[in-house]
Amino acid sequence: MACSRKWAPWALALAMAVAGVQGPARAAGYVDVLDLPAKPSALAVLSPLRDVTRAGDRLVAVGPRGHIVYSDNQGQDWHQASVPVSADLNALVFANAREGWAVGNDGVVLHSRDGGASWARQLDGRQIGTLVEAHYQALAKAHPDDPQWPAFAAEGQRLVEEGADKPLLGVWFVDARHGYVVGVFNLILRTDDGGNSWVPMQDRTDNPQGLHLNAIHAIGDELYVAGEQGLLLKWQAGQQRFVSLPSPYQGTWFGVLGKPGEVLAYGLRGHVARSSDGGQSWARVNTGVTQSITAASIDSNGDYWLFSQAGQVLRSRDGGLSFAVQPQVPPAPVTAAVQARSNGTVLVGERGVRVLPAR
Amino acid sequence: MANIKQDTLPVIRDLKDFDPRSGNLLERMVFNYRPLFMLFMVLVTGVLGYLALTRLELRPSFEKMIPQSQPYIQNYLDNRKSLRGLGNSVRVVVENTQGDIFDPEYLTVLKQINDELFLAQGVDRAWMKSLWSPGVRWTEVTEEGFQGGTVMPDDYQGKPADIEQLRQNINRAGIVGSLVATDFKSSMLVVPLLDHDLATGRGIDYRQFSQMLEQQLRDKYEYAGDSKARRAGEEGHGKYKVRVIGFAKLMGDLSDGLVQVMMFFALAVGTSLLIIYLYTRCVRSTLLVVCCSLAAVVWQLGIVGWLGYAIDPYSILVPFLIFAIGVSHAAQKMNGIMQDIGRGTHRQVAARYTFRRLFVAGVTALLADAVGFAVLMLIDIPVIKDLAITASIGVAVLIFTSLLLIPVALSYVGVGRKAAERALRIDRRAAEHRGFGKLWDALDRFTTRKWATGAVLVAVLMGAVGFWASLQLKIGDLDSGAPELRADSRYNRDNAYITRHYALSSDLFAVMIKTPPEGCLSYQTLMLADRLAWELQQYPGVQTTVSLVNAVRQITAGSFEGNPKMSSLQRNQDMLNYAAQQASVNAPELFNNDCSLMPVIAYLKDHKAQTLDDVVAIADRFARENSTPERQFMLAAGSAGIEAATNIVVRDANRTMLLFVYLAVTLFCLITFRSWRATLVALLPLVLTSVLCEALMVAMGIGVKVATLPVIALGVGIGVDYALYLLSVQLHYQRQGRSLGEAYQNAVAFTGRVVGLVGITLAAGVVGWAWSPIKFQADMGILLTFMFLWNMLGALVLIPALSYFLLPDKRFVAAEPETCAAPTPPDERVCQPQAPTRMSA
Repeated sequence: MACSRKWAPWALALAMAVAGVQGPARAAGYVDVLDLPAKPSALAVLSPLRDVTRAGDRLVAVGPRGHIVYSDNQGQDWHQASVPVSADLNALVFANAREGWAVGNDGVVLHSRDGGASWARQLDGRQIGTLVEAHYQALAKAHPDDPQWPAFAAEGQRLVEEGADKPLLGVWFVDARHGYVVGVFNLILRTDDGGNSWVPMQDRTDNPQGLHLNAIHAIGDELYVAGEQGLLLKWQAGQQRFVSLPSPYQGTWFGVLGKPGEVLAYGLRGHVARSSDGGQSWARVNTGVTQSITAASIDSNGDYWLFSQAGQVLRSRDGGLSFAVQPQVPPAPVTAAVQARSNGTVLVGERGVRVLPAR
Repeated sequence: MANIKQDTLPVIRDLKDFDPRSGNLLERMVFNYRPLFMLFMVLVTGVLGYLALTRLELRPSFEKMIPQSQPYIQNYLDNRKSLRGLGNSVRVVVENTQGDIFDPEYLTVLKQINDELFLAQGVDRAWMKSLWSPGVRWTEVTEEGFQGGTVMPDDYQGKPADIEQLRQNINRAGIVGSLVATDFKSSMLVVPLLDHDLATGRGIDYRQFSQMLEQQLRDKYEYAGDSKARRAGEEGHGKYKVRVIGFAKLMGDLSDGLVQVMMFFALAVGTSLLIIYLYTRCVRSTLLVVCCSLAAVVWQLGIVGWLGYAIDPYSILVPFLIFAIGVSHAAQKMNGIMQDIGRGTHRQVAARYTFRRLFVAGVTALLADAVGFAVLMLIDIPVIKDLAITASIGVAVLIFTSLLLIPVALSYVGVGRKAAERALRIDRRAAEHRGFGKLWDALDRFTTRKWATGAVLVAVLMGAVGFWASLQLKIGDLDSGAPELRADSRYNRDNAYITRHYALSSDLFAVMIKTPPEGCLSYQTLMLADRLAWELQQYPGVQTTVSLVNAVRQITAGSFEGNPKMSSLQRNQDMLNYAAQQASVNAPELFNNDCSLMPVIAYLKDHKAQTLDDVVAIADRFARENSTPERQFMLAAGSAGIEAATNIVVRDANRTMLLFVYLAVTLFCLITFRSWRATLVALLPLVLTSVLCEALMVAMGIGVKVATLPVIALGVGIGVDYALYLLSVQLHYQRQGRSLGEAYQNAVAFTGRVVGLVGITLAAGVVGWAWSPIKFQADMGILLTFMFLWNMLGALVLIPALSYFLLPDKRFVAAEPETCAAPTPPDERVCQPQAPTRMSA
């Protein structure tokens, strides 16, 4: 029919117009970062990243929005891992070439069994409060005359009330079973089964003020925690406790690094301290910079490298006794650094990954 | 031949032989009371001239250039008061060409400029930022918490130690790329402007502000008083350069450009004088024609001013067009009178004869022009509507000045006898196939098979190539910088400099997030803003994004001793509140006072239509997926957001307008010719011109934009005049049974010179625009000139060629001879369609 033929395109156009007005109607619901898988993005490797480490020969880095990227050619090409959350990730560690853990905001603990290519959630901020509260309430019940347990239980209750808001800032695994995560306000948990279950350790730190714990790191057999207001802790296996070390500086430490027999702590406003007796005594090291030292690494020669928030690069050839600023262009903030196999250093920071060639 | 119709009105040498009661009512009213009529015209001209002088304002208005009812624009207009960061500010960059900013002398000059701007009228002093502002501070995290101070050391005295301190402060304040150029050779003053001046309560006069910048700052510091060089558009050769961008400066430059364009009016008048004189060789009638056309412009401007419209960069087109159309009509009147006088008729009678012949025809032609203007009313952009209204006023005015005033005035002054005789001689020579006759003969060949086929084939080929090229036609502006001004204008050079040396582009696309009060601080809102920003960043055309989230992240990290790992959005509301409170001091432009609106701003690498379309698509999808009644994501603000919305409207309007202008012109032709074939003959050349015009736009890198929309409508509306002139005469003869060749020859002999005159005067009226400092006016000038001239050529060549195929002789032989709708008069030659008679020049 001529008539229907004539009208058909119009009808079609009308139908399309109606569809266009309505649009692909999708539910406008907010999805929490803990339930929203990280989106793949070509920008992930060029965007802020917060930590980088080695998993065997592979390099793996974490950053905001659940970004985890890995490289099998020492930082040249990167792939984005599949991650079940889009929370900001802060730190990661690998116990061996395959098993690794990453922690981040919202109390997130992720676990990888394949060298960082895919990750599964082990813990998040919605569980931590309950876990802490239950642990200390059980202790309070078991030891009714010990006044410390109700206080820790109350602290656990506060964590429950706060919700998922529990930034974890550091992670360390001694081996594939035993590890620790640390975070703000003296939050510290330990696992002895590869992350399947976690035990609160708040009662095992010499941190009465509940200062933030920024990083946890082992040097040889010695396990150190760096924190706010000069807090430096060391694990004493005999006491089953993180005991306080005499810090030479009362500002924030962002991390510790070292070789057996040498420990360096680095932190706010260019402050670096060195100990050669396992942290019993510390000497200040003059770096000559006033910017915060936010990252450090050791190269294959055993030289220490420090990186400041302003992008300055310092190097020590004498075991950390003295540092010299290295010429480097262009400076960009560094939040973590790791020695690559190819003898360069891979840096991550505000502008993603950079490779600092070895000199 | 050419004189058939002249014979219909007898030659009357003596006024006594003429019956003043003859002619229609209007003719008797006007011509029998000539002194009264002239007095009336002089009075009206005086009054309207006074109104034009006193009421008319030069006012390029930003709002009027944007499509007001487009939803994105409405969102923007509804919320513009809350969008401080996207508001009205001027960026002044002071460059040291012989060193860097760490030069005590430079810093002194910077301070002087800072102080002058601080005191300038209309400046929102509290938010002004420069190296000398107390509000520009550095902060640093120390063991005790935040520590900070002004970037300019408190006790600055210009000593090397002070400079060193300043250098250090600049680094820790993180203002490299924002207030300090990345190469340290210049620094910026961000000068926000008030909507209303506190002292006067009135809106800021952008032109005045811009002139203040030129005269107080540039003259003094860049040109060292050599303002001649500045006005010539050169850059200063001194030690310092002052570069200024921002909306107020742009508007100021547009106003200055307008003033310059008004100068072109003198050029148009001069050209017209020359053309008319060459046409008539009669000084007094040439002056009369130009004066009456100027009167039309005075009337038009007076009425426009009286109604409260202002002259903006678009409506300034109208006086030019009105003048040109007025001149072409007036020239026709004069031509008729000249011939009658040349034949010996008394000048008063000759004037009345011309009135009789041409009044209805003139109104018809003006109506055709009005169609072109009226169609513009359909475009939902105020400047274009204003253009349509003011142009319609102008066309109405032309009825008085060109159709009435000219004959009456000519009845007083007459024409020079020599000129009158010359006019007759030219027609006689043409009739003898000499002079113009040779040209007419050449055109006549297009009615023959060979030439017609050739012409049509060439036209089809050109049309095809033009169409193929026009497929590349882009929407929107294709150059970088401020599209209103030329790419090499001082403003755009400054803009390019600033884009190169500072981190952020000037093409801002903002999505507004609207919530209940305090809602912008909720964790979810910030999170969604962050996700939107991230989605936008994925598109390569987005350089970076800025929103409250950036500030909150930074402040959160700051309150954790600057720990980069804490540069995150925390769920803790106290934390977010603290961050926002800090942000309201450091970056108040990122949200409004009650925290119910915050923009997510994307800095785009350019404002090409494709970039804008893609960004709109990304933002729109996000908005649809995430908007709830309590949290709406609304497009769009920022310069690029407004341009994106304008592009959307322009794309639609372009299609609608073409459709309607052709519809209107088709109807018009059908009514006039009463033949669909003749209508096709009239329209096809116009279609070819429209297609070629689009191809020309592609070739010249002109996109379809607000400024080019009116061009095609005007080109078609005014271009159909030519076809009306030629075809109606041709049809008249064909309907009388003449052959096509003969009919066309008559038509072209009658009207050829007028068609040429109209084309050339119209083109002369607008061609001067090509030199306008305002880019879109230059584009309009070039395109209109092209359309006026090419329509003329198309009409002269393609009408005979197409007639050969569409209006062959057999169609008329078969038909009954044309009869009149009116009672048959005794003289069959009086029975003519009105349109042809108008051409009896």
